[in-house]
Amino acid sequence: MRDRLAGISLLPLSSWLVAFFLVPLGMICAISLATTDLVGTPIFALEFSNYSALLDPLYVPVVIRTLAYAGAATALCILLGYPAAYTVARLGGRHRHAIILLIALPWFVDYLIRIYAWLAILGGNGLLNNVLHQLGLTNAAGLSFVGHSYTVILGLTYSYLPFMILTIYVAVDQMDPRVIEAGKDLYGGPWSTFFYVTLPTTLQGIVAGSLLVFLPALGDFATVQFLGGANQTMIGNLIVNDFSTVGNAPQAAAWTVVIIGSMVMVLVMASLVARIRRRGATHRIGSDVVLGGTG
Amino acid sequence: MTATVESAESPAATHVDARPRSSRNLRHLALWAFTGVVGLFLLAPLLVVVLFSFNGIKSVSHLEGFSFHWYAKLWGNEVILRSLRQSLEISAVATAVGATIGTMLAFGLVRTRLGATRVVERLAALSILTPETAIAIALFYFFTVGLGLELSLLTVMVGHITFSGVFVMIVVRTRLLGVSEEVEEAALDLGAGPLTTIRLALLPQLWPAIAGASLFVFILSFDDFVTSYFTSGVGVTPLPVLIYGMVRLGVSPEINALGTSLMVVSILLSILAMSLIGWKRGRRS
Repeated sequence: MRDRLAGISLLPLSSWLVAFFLVPLGMICAISLATTDLVGTPIFALEFSNYSALLDPLYVPVVIRTLAYAGAATALCILLGYPAAYTVARLGGRHRHAIILLIALPWFVDYLIRIYAWLAILGGNGLLNNVLHQLGLTNAAGLSFVGHSYTVILGLTYSYLPFMILTIYVAVDQMDPRVIEAGKDLYGGPWSTFFYVTLPTTLQGIVAGSLLVFLPALGDFATVQFLGGANQTMIGNLIVNDFSTVGNAPQAAAWTVVIIGSMVMVLVMASLVARIRRRGATHRIGSDVVLGGTG
Repeated sequence: MTATVESAESPAATHVDARPRSSRNLRHLALWAFTGVVGLFLLAPLLVVVLFSFNGIKSVSHLEGFSFHWYAKLWGNEVILRSLRQSLEISAVATAVGATIGTMLAFGLVRTRLGATRVVERLAALSILTPETAIAIALFYFFTVGLGLELSLLTVMVGHITFSGVFVMIVVRTRLLGVSEEVEEAALDLGAGPLTTIRLALLPQLWPAIAGASLFVFILSFDDFVTSYFTSGVGVTPLPVLIYGMVRLGVSPEINALGTSLMVVSILLSILAMSLIGWKRGRRS
């Protein structure tokens, strides 16, 4: 009786996910192969020309740039996030949860406000220019910080760093302290213990954190819109442009499929890394929490 | 690194670590200094927004005086208030529906041994990993081209329910894994029906997780921009979509005030949500 109840309770959200996640994704794949009629409504067909933009010299850099920005932001998040998460988890003592939540506070702040905060600092009449001018380092015209690739990467890093920190924090916090002590017995030095014991044990946390940074960064468009310029266009911006242009639905759909395809490749790579790791690891860690136990 | 040494949980480490104390302290100091810089990087921009929201003059780079002027302006702004109402409606519905079907799915996943649960788990994980832009634009074409619908509050709600439900499911599922089946079995043995069993034996143990997850999902929905942007049509402007439009026009003290207000509400609700979910209790291993 209860088993039947449990079985039935699976249904609503599973069917919801099929109806409002899987089916729309399937439809966008279909639209990416469609043509349009005179008023711009997609007509389903098998038209591969929407994907020809992928080979267009105009758009190839956009695809490469998107992957590069998302990759750079992910790398920066690991470099900044791992030491911070590690420090708080291992040295934070009783208040470590509070400290990590304080550091990860931007996570709770509206995404646009986070980007906006950087615009207020780096913008043409922003705080940084004002400070530099007050110090007599620049003239009244100021410097242009917005519209560079580094500003976009900075914005992406800032937006998604809390995910990385929290994921790695959970991984380090859940490590069995005895494992580290065993490592110290075996390897002695703090660095070798870190590289041979702590880092491999928390690798799944890094992988999960990287997915939570890289994947949303792949589809990001507001960061470039506010902190970048025409030379920083990412795939997300192409999608938004095609989305608001009548008759460009198939092209927008094709770009979306490119993002989904990149995601699938990244997920396959991540699961390969996780599989290699799992052979040695005996510990349930952060990625389980994040990926809902699919890791 | 010898990080364990300091924490009281591993007294054994003191014996193991034979290196001089000073080099360890130096290392700890360096780690904390780095962490401080990262913390500053993350918090300083928010502080800038908060500070300038109280600015006495209409400037986003000079602080002069102190006033609630920009907040007062927000409360007098019909457009913002209308967006606020719409956002609250969307989040309330998304949270209620998401919490219900998310909790049901968590229960189903933990308490059945069907092979299908693995597929469902993967589907749910995929739905939160897929870049939101992709899901949102797919939903847009699904609604408009596929179903021929006009975009409305309802379409935004549908978009929000998807991630709300999955998020609640993940939190409640984690909690359920720590709840033994024995209490439920005892209740069933004593003659309680399955629904009564759930109500009397299971829900009392689950409600903090459900309430915490719901609060959290409410914030996620309230702050959501991408899905809202693609699924809201004419006349529907959830607050983040309105902010998007405002930011496009440039930096202004009003946005600072609006951003600060949202920040304060989100952070307070998150703290409440975190303590309900049992962030501390759940992590003690």
